[in-house]
Amino acid sequence: MNTIGISVNGHAVTASVEPRTHLADFLRDHLNLTGTHLGCEHGVCGSCTLLLDDAPARSCITLAAACDRARVTTIEGLDDDEIAGELRAAFTREHALQCGYCTPGMIVSARDLVLRLDDADERAIRVGLSGNLCRCTGYVGIVRAVRSVIDDRRRRGIAPLPGAAREQLGPVGSTSSAGDGGPPAARPSARAGIEQRPAVTIPDFVPDRILEDHFTLASRPEEVFAMLGDVARVAACLPGVALTGNPTPKHVEGVIRVRLGPISTGFRGAARIERDPATMSGRIVGMGTDHHIRSSTRGEVRYRLLPVDAGTATRVEISVGYSMQGMLAQIAREGLVRGLAARLTAEFARNLERELSGAATGGPTRPAASIDGVALVFDRLRMFVREIFRRT
Amino acid sequence: MKAAAFAYERPSDLKAALALMAGARGSTRIIAGGQSLGPMLNLRLVRPELLVDIAGLAELKQVDRGGDELVIGACVTHADIEDGRIPDVTRGAMRRVAASIAYRAVRNRGTIGGSLSHADPAADWVCALPALGAKIRLRSTRGLRELAIEDFITGALESALQEAEIVEAVRVPVMRPAARWGYVKACRKPGEFAHAIAAVLIDPESTGARVVVGAIAAPPIVLHDAAPLFGGRVTADFHRQFDARIADAMLAKAGVTNAADRHIHVAVLRRAIAEAAA
Repeated sequence: MNTIGISVNGHAVTASVEPRTHLADFLRDHLNLTGTHLGCEHGVCGSCTLLLDDAPARSCITLAAACDRARVTTIEGLDDDEIAGELRAAFTREHALQCGYCTPGMIVSARDLVLRLDDADERAIRVGLSGNLCRCTGYVGIVRAVRSVIDDRRRRGIAPLPGAAREQLGPVGSTSSAGDGGPPAARPSARAGIEQRPAVTIPDFVPDRILEDHFTLASRPEEVFAMLGDVARVAACLPGVALTGNPTPKHVEGVIRVRLGPISTGFRGAARIERDPATMSGRIVGMGTDHHIRSSTRGEVRYRLLPVDAGTATRVEISVGYSMQGMLAQIAREGLVRGLAARLTAEFARNLERELSGAATGGPTRPAASIDGVALVFDRLRMFVREIFRRT
Repeated sequence: MKAAAFAYERPSDLKAALALMAGARGSTRIIAGGQSLGPMLNLRLVRPELLVDIAGLAELKQVDRGGDELVIGACVTHADIEDGRIPDVTRGAMRRVAASIAYRAVRNRGTIGGSLSHADPAADWVCALPALGAKIRLRSTRGLRELAIEDFITGALESALQEAEIVEAVRVPVMRPAARWGYVKACRKPGEFAHAIAAVLIDPESTGARVVVGAIAAPPIVLHDAAPLFGGRVTADFHRQFDARIADAMLAKAGVTNAADRHIHVAVLRRAIAEAAA
């Protein structure tokens, strides 16, 4: 076994791999990133194409062990990529896929062409995509989609990047780019003349569900508002939350672990923080993904502080909006989530109270506790069984 | 389609790699970009006991422009050459050859040294570099030796590489401004291995004509003096003097028995000559 440390879609991953394991199997079987598809498994069909140090490579004929300290971007890591987003829209518009098996590799190769080609020359696009086989479309829609994205970008004045701005010599993935100390380079699309975006952008969204709650703290509103501005202290009060990286007052990344009966979730993601001292209110918009249970969630927490008891105490009004996608959304009905959220809010309020009164000494380094939703699920089960009996 | 088990070493420098190779017992293979060896491992056509990965070796990812030649490290990739990340001493010839190798995803990892040591008769560098007059530099713990590319390729997937020897670099001479270059290949699909390759370097006032006909089931045919193909003398209107019958006879003698195959090879050669004349 060889130990490798690689960056996968911006996350540092350390793993022990058998030398013969190729990169695609490692991503699919060890990291559950199944967006990288395997067709021929000998470098012909192109469905396993992904970005290695930002350049397309065949992951079925690249050993995972050879990617130590490399930067890997799979189709899952291109969710927020500007060019990939434009390609997805164009693929949809032009019917550039049917079964979708070739599509992840196709998008990765097409993205490279969009970056590098001078103009939307049909022959250059067809030659450039010749290493990606599609058995459904006859390529017409695919070529049309890629042409339209290149045309559109060049019209918007976005120049091609010769060699996709790569500077190092040698096989992509072979140079210790991820271990050089510098941050992973911004993806070429960010360098292409558009404004520099942070690694993760968190868009606004309309929540599917909104829950409201409130609690009262025995501290003045100013104190509470100041405390809520301290990202690390707040995170320490949030059950199951662990921060990763360096939080800033406006951006934070981390993991939230919540147990729902037999289901252990670990949503990894990022959040944007907004605060308004004038109205003593704030907003946190976040999104997270749990690859193991193939689920993702978006959430928005709004809070407002109101003085009570002549300003000596604070009523905290919060509303929690969320949307869920993936496997968890199949079972996490509103009632289950509402119950869980109520428990989380109550625990958060208790922790905040303790933190404000100075009773807690742990601070942000305190290990994140996990929320036990077992009792909650049993409650739901009992009600479910009772209803069945009532019906019969 | 999973490779059989093997041990894997990633030495930190060339010296360590050479020592590993010298001390290795059993079947040991060098791997760089793995674009030829990778498929063979997955198909279990190759089952080494040990793979020595040289892709990370900085010494092999350098280029050195000295005097009248360019020394290209073995682990420089086709994409490095295609994109112009290394100097070009062949007036664009190598960049165009590199750009036509397989697919971009393959060119991003496949290396010039790996392609030569794999010695596929239909590989682009195996056919283009002899026409450019390039040499290959081999290193082992025993020392250094150099061979002309055409002497290095000894058969289909056979090279003069000895046990424990590593391809270190390729030496490419500067192309004279007066020289004319043509490179054409026939593929049924872009990126596939070619059915016929022709490389032509013509310089009537200096070296004359050098012609390589490749993608036959043997090492490419390398004519250092291709004057017989042009009626015995390489003149300024060489493309009009091209004698297809001589080329056909040459291919028959080299073992290409199928007349249709010979026809494709001769047609590709004619196009390469026309490109050089253009």
